[in-house]
Amino acid sequence: MAEQTLDCLGEACPVPLIKTQKAMEKMAVGDVLIVDIDHSCAMKNVPDWARSVGHNVEIEEVGEGEWNIIIEKTK
Amino acid sequence: MDEKKKYPFHETYFKKEWSYSTGAVLLTLLALALVIFSGGAWGVTGPFGMWGGKFLQLIGIDADSWTAFNGSLAKYNFWTDMPALTDIGIVAGALLSVLLAAQFKIKKIKSAKNVWAAVLGGLCMGIGARLSLGCNIGAFFSALPAFSLHGWLFYISIFSGAAVGSQLLKKYFM
Repeated sequence: MAEQTLDCLGEACPVPLIKTQKAMEKMAVGDVLIVDIDHSCAMKNVPDWARSVGHNVEIEEVGEGEWNIIIEKTK
Repeated sequence: MDEKKKYPFHETYFKKEWSYSTGAVLLTLLALALVIFSGGAWGVTGPFGMWGGKFLQLIGIDADSWTAFNGSLAKYNFWTDMPALTDIGIVAGALLSVLLAAQFKIKKIKSAKNVWAAVLGGLCMGIGARLSLGCNIGAFFSALPAFSLHGWLFYISIFSGAAVGSQLLKKYFM
């Protein structure tokens, strides 16, 4: 049950989404990825993609215009 | 999480993103209103060209004699240029929207690579928009509601361009 962080602060679409997809590929089932983002479009397309694939997703607003997307790999 | 319950109206209308269909309906209505009240089609980059020309004049270059401007710079008035005022309006509106959502943030520049990408990308967009006489607003957003065929041609072209661009991005930038 490893946990890792992906820093996507300052990155615009679609970079955060592609980075997240690449990072998820390397993870094992049950692992958790925390994506730091400050781009409001990524706050929509990253969780949308993760949910559509079937992972568990939680979004936390950590500051003004800054979010953590917490994704648990389910398969 | 507690704040959610404290200000449900603010949460629903100002903070949470609206659905794509809500956005589409609002954009259509506002596009219509824009044509009715400004009396013409809106293009974002048209005014940029004029401002660029004005800037060249400011540093002593006689841009007005160029075919592209042909004397239009002398007659240009920012306060009667509806597309220019709409450009200012969209930036002010976007700022208001992030402030209302309490999501305003000045982002850090992450790397030199990002700076180059922004500068080169901006140059390509500017040159492309002026060569094709419009960006995705003038050649697309304003064209489709007016039933102009050029909007659909632009749609096909920009879609293929974006598809190729994303592949290049994945290959060389990531």
